[in-house]
Amino acid sequence: MKRVQLEIILGTLFVFLSALILISYATQETSRLAEYEVAQEAELIEFGASIYENNCTSCHGDFAQGIAGIAPCLRCEELFDGRIEAIGWEGELEDYIVSVVTTGRQVSTRAEYFGGGSPAMPTWSEKFGGPLRDDQVRAVSAYIMNFQAEALGEVAAVPPPPIAIDSSTPEGLGRAQFVISGCTACHAVSGVSEATIGPSLNGIATRAETRVEGLSAAEYILESIIDPNAYLVEGYGADIMLQTFGESMAEEDFNNLIAYLLTLTEE
Amino acid sequence: MLNTLRQRFNIPPRDELRAWFMQMIDDRVRIITAGLSIKELRAVFRGDPPTEKPNPRYKVITTSFVAHLRPRYYQQAATWFTHTFRLGWFTTFFFVVETITGVVLMVYYIPFPDQAYGSILEIESNVWFGELMRDIHRLGAEGMVLFTWLHMFRTYFTGSYKGPRSFTWLTGVVLLFITAWLSFTGYLLTWDQLGYWAITVGSSITESGPVVGPAMNILLRGAPDIGTGGLLRFYLQHVILFPLIAILVISIHYYKVSREHSISLPAWVEERDDIPADEKKKHTRRIDLIPDLLTHELFLVCVGIFAMLAILYFDLFNSPLETPANPQQTPLDTKAPWYFWWLQGMLKIEPAKILEGFINPVIGIFGAEVQLGRLLDSKFIMGLVIPPLLVGLLAAVPYIDRNPSRMAKNRPFAIAWGIAWIFILLALSYMGLPEFGIETAPATRVIQDLAPEEGLGPLREIPFDELMGAVETEAEGSFIVSREHLYGRDLCPDLAYIPESEEDSDDPQAVIGCPHLTEVFYQFNDRLIEAEEEGGFGTGLNGAGPQMEAVFIIQQWAHNLIRVQPTVEWIDEDGNLQEYHQIYFLHEEGRREH
Repeated sequence: MKRVQLEIILGTLFVFLSALILISYATQETSRLAEYEVAQEAELIEFGASIYENNCTSCHGDFAQGIAGIAPCLRCEELFDGRIEAIGWEGELEDYIVSVVTTGRQVSTRAEYFGGGSPAMPTWSEKFGGPLRDDQVRAVSAYIMNFQAEALGEVAAVPPPPIAIDSSTPEGLGRAQFVISGCTACHAVSGVSEATIGPSLNGIATRAETRVEGLSAAEYILESIIDPNAYLVEGYGADIMLQTFGESMAEEDFNNLIAYLLTLTEE
Repeated sequence: MLNTLRQRFNIPPRDELRAWFMQMIDDRVRIITAGLSIKELRAVFRGDPPTEKPNPRYKVITTSFVAHLRPRYYQQAATWFTHTFRLGWFTTFFFVVETITGVVLMVYYIPFPDQAYGSILEIESNVWFGELMRDIHRLGAEGMVLFTWLHMFRTYFTGSYKGPRSFTWLTGVVLLFITAWLSFTGYLLTWDQLGYWAITVGSSITESGPVVGPAMNILLRGAPDIGTGGLLRFYLQHVILFPLIAILVISIHYYKVSREHSISLPAWVEERDDIPADEKKKHTRRIDLIPDLLTHELFLVCVGIFAMLAILYFDLFNSPLETPANPQQTPLDTKAPWYFWWLQGMLKIEPAKILEGFINPVIGIFGAEVQLGRLLDSKFIMGLVIPPLLVGLLAAVPYIDRNPSRMAKNRPFAIAWGIAWIFILLALSYMGLPEFGIETAPATRVIQDLAPEEGLGPLREIPFDELMGAVETEAEGSFIVSREHLYGRDLCPDLAYIPESEEDSDDPQAVIGCPHLTEVFYQFNDRLIEAEEEGGFGTGLNGAGPQMEAVFIIQQWAHNLIRVQPTVEWIDEDGNLQEYHQIYFLHEEGRREH
């Protein structure tokens, strides 16, 4: 056989073999695409989990369980059932999450979550000065949406304290005011809150007497609420606390609140 | 009526109709094939000699535009496989493959930073044969670079750059650069960590140039850092500018070979006088393009396509895709593409250190006195001055080497010089590896080896069931590194699960315990203890002996998500507690293997 003919025969054979490989590819292609998509979604969730870990835990909790007073639970039914209806969002829940993460919240939509002050939640998208790219925002929402299958019924880890309001005394009203104004989000008080963002208020009544010379305990507390940067407790920086309580609270509220705080004598 | 038509269209009478019709078809065929009749075509396919005189098979080459690039014939010895290994031919083959698959990929690719990576994922997950196209394109790119280098070395060792072929060698050096640059520009397009940082590291060399360096850098990157402008520039270079330049230079290079001086004969056929005349005649007889060379080339196309498909089908090659580019986070092991490792290796040479205490003359430049070592010790010299000098040396090879003989035994110096360069390039490439000359803290190294930032790694290969099982153990997923030998003890003895590979079988075999996890943990354990013994964690406070503790924590994070945190703590010389940890999330459906 001549070399040319041999090459024609072998070449044809290779063409057949190549065609076989392609056919084999084609039969697997549908399932490969589906598998790739599943793996891609899984990787997106893994990616989102690490972004959440680095950016979101201080307000929404390590396990996305939320922190009472500050930010809502993200693995609870309250998010997956009825949240978008309540807020009037007409699209999908996942897009709602993307939207909130992207733009953040200037003001909290719910009184029980004070958030990080103003803004309640920062904008996260790099389009608006945040640190995250679009695909990272998508990944975070994929991570949160992954909780839907096993959403918790109740906020699990840090429940807001149930309080019985005793409206007959200024101290009782002050205690309610303490919770309503969102103080529990940052300050610890035995039996009410365990937050550690601001200094603990246990024993504040005793300490406030001697904190600043010439100021009584009540005057010191009032001053500290209206102008939080006036006297800083060691270990806590300036501008952590909201500086608008002086405008948003009535004089009577202040009186009640201070009356309540002055009952906190025990460390 | 019929007769009018006949006359009008010049149709012959009935008995001549068949011949007239065949003649008409034959004329068309001759036009399409640029000179071959039907009879001649049949003879070509049968391997018969030409049917007409002069040989109509040569006419094709003179009349056809495309075939004009082709040779009429090569001499027999020049076509020996062991002489050329078809290296140049395969380089061209890869170029054509790249063009075809590249055009397909261009349809789906979006050259903007916020969409580029997504469009690659789209190609892989949503386009039929998309992954195959990308794999072929990537494999072809590696092949083209590799074969260009091999082709160059073959030409060098057979002395084929000499005499009339010296200009061809020069165009070849240009093509070597074009090929590397085409591949390099393609690297960035996936917009993942691999490409982004390889290009960032690579293009940062231009920055070190004097006066025009920063301007060159901005011209190349489109901004101080690679962003939208940079990606678009690299994309256009990759899909338009350099393919066009490549087509032009390949054409020149090939035209020289095919129409001017042909492929070189093996040196001994050309130079030895003691070959019998009939044997010499046999070696130099003509092998025509049609049909022999053309058939052989078609055969090689079949072989090439089959080989590429087979390599991909049996998973011997995968085009890498790392996590999306993140300008804020430099990967631990940044690596240039393999064909630039030698350059990265060169940048690691420190002439100041080598020349210290050796010969280190002080020389005066512009009135300032500088030590030679100091002068050479810069990215500028090592990255921008020496490599172009080397390329210049390569281009000048035919003009430096005036030895007229092409036979290896007559040019021992040139052969030794070529072999030396192979070793120099290999050594420099080895030095260019991220592992070479860069110390990583042991805790970082151990954890990075366990779960690399990119790709898989032992941690990712642990089946999800074993990780879940570990959480349920007595240790609740917290495994502490111990100095006692615990070999043979499984971390989760109570676990039994059916591995995924057995799920579809009729008689599924359960795995007892968690062998994969146990293996990974012991690896973590042993390497840390080993590093401690080698002094990797210092000698502790006031030399009291190293104090290192480490723990491997596995937690369930969601029904389908596991969080793994290896943590290493140690006390340094000053008594400070040092800590290193990494956090990994592993999803049940996440990629465990390719």
